[in-house]
Amino acid sequence: MHVTVKLFASFREGRFKVEERDLPEESRVLEVLEPLGIIPEEIAICLVNGQNVNEQHLLKDGDTIALFPPVGGG
Amino acid sequence: MKLEGRYARNRKTLSEEDQLKLSTSCIAIVGCGGLGGYIAEELARVGVGRLVLIDGDRLEISNLNRQIMSTERNIGQWKVEAARERLQSVNSEVQVEGIKGWFEEEKGPELFREVDLVCDALDSLPTRVALERVCHQMGLPLVFASIAGWFGQIGVSLPGDFSVKSLFGGGKRGVENTWGNPAFTPAVLASLSVVETVKLLIGRESSLRHAWLQVDLLTMEFERFEIQ
Repeated sequence: MHVTVKLFASFREGRFKVEERDLPEESRVLEVLEPLGIIPEEIAICLVNGQNVNEQHLLKDGDTIALFPPVGGG
Repeated sequence: MKLEGRYARNRKTLSEEDQLKLSTSCIAIVGCGGLGGYIAEELARVGVGRLVLIDGDRLEISNLNRQIMSTERNIGQWKVEAARERLQSVNSEVQVEGIKGWFEEEKGPELFREVDLVCDALDSLPTRVALERVCHQMGLPLVFASIAGWFGQIGVSLPGDFSVKSLFGGGKRGVENTWGNPAFTPAVLASLSVVETVKLLIGRESSLRHAWLQVDLLTMEFERFEIQ
């Protein structure tokens, strides 16, 4: 299946802003994170098609995954 | 000092009626660092009647790169004191109350007793979540913002929304520990916070309810996301 991965803020550093990925059927968000070197604990928000999900979320063909690190300074 | 024409350039963005609403409003700013300093400065200039500043820190040298209330001459001073002095010289019509201490959930009802709206300018994710809880218990709108390096987030949480909890509920520290905070990021995010604050005070619709604006100053992208 085919998904779109969007990274935000510091997750873009040394990676990318948006890329397409081909994944085996029944992949979870976790399978997207592993090759990117991002662990679930580093993620503040994970949206799949705009819905807040966790790393165990089961992906479907055509999904858009958006990953945000925590931004907490003042 | 009464200065006629002080708010002349607020027209016609803000009407006389809007100006009156601002002058009778009281805002609490929680945190008086990079974000909080600029928020306080702009709210004083735009003509908000009363500001309650809450921060338990003193100014230090590493604040000079971004905190508008800090100068080479006031290092070591309480941040809320330095802010009060500066704000009095900017707009003596504004009543400024400085609280030398940290926001804690149980102090909320006392701190926000006479407050109409709260601006979050904290630097801790769990404290932001606690702040939202207190605001909602007291029926107060909250404008929240946070920064790290080139990046920022800002939104509006009205009682019952729990936007901050959805956004920041999981984490302890953000990427600001690695990326620091340069001069420009707090200024941008503070200005956006003040815009939303003013709109709420004068009864305009907030553009960032049930949402947040993701700000990336490296790519100059401002993207709005819905909080579902």
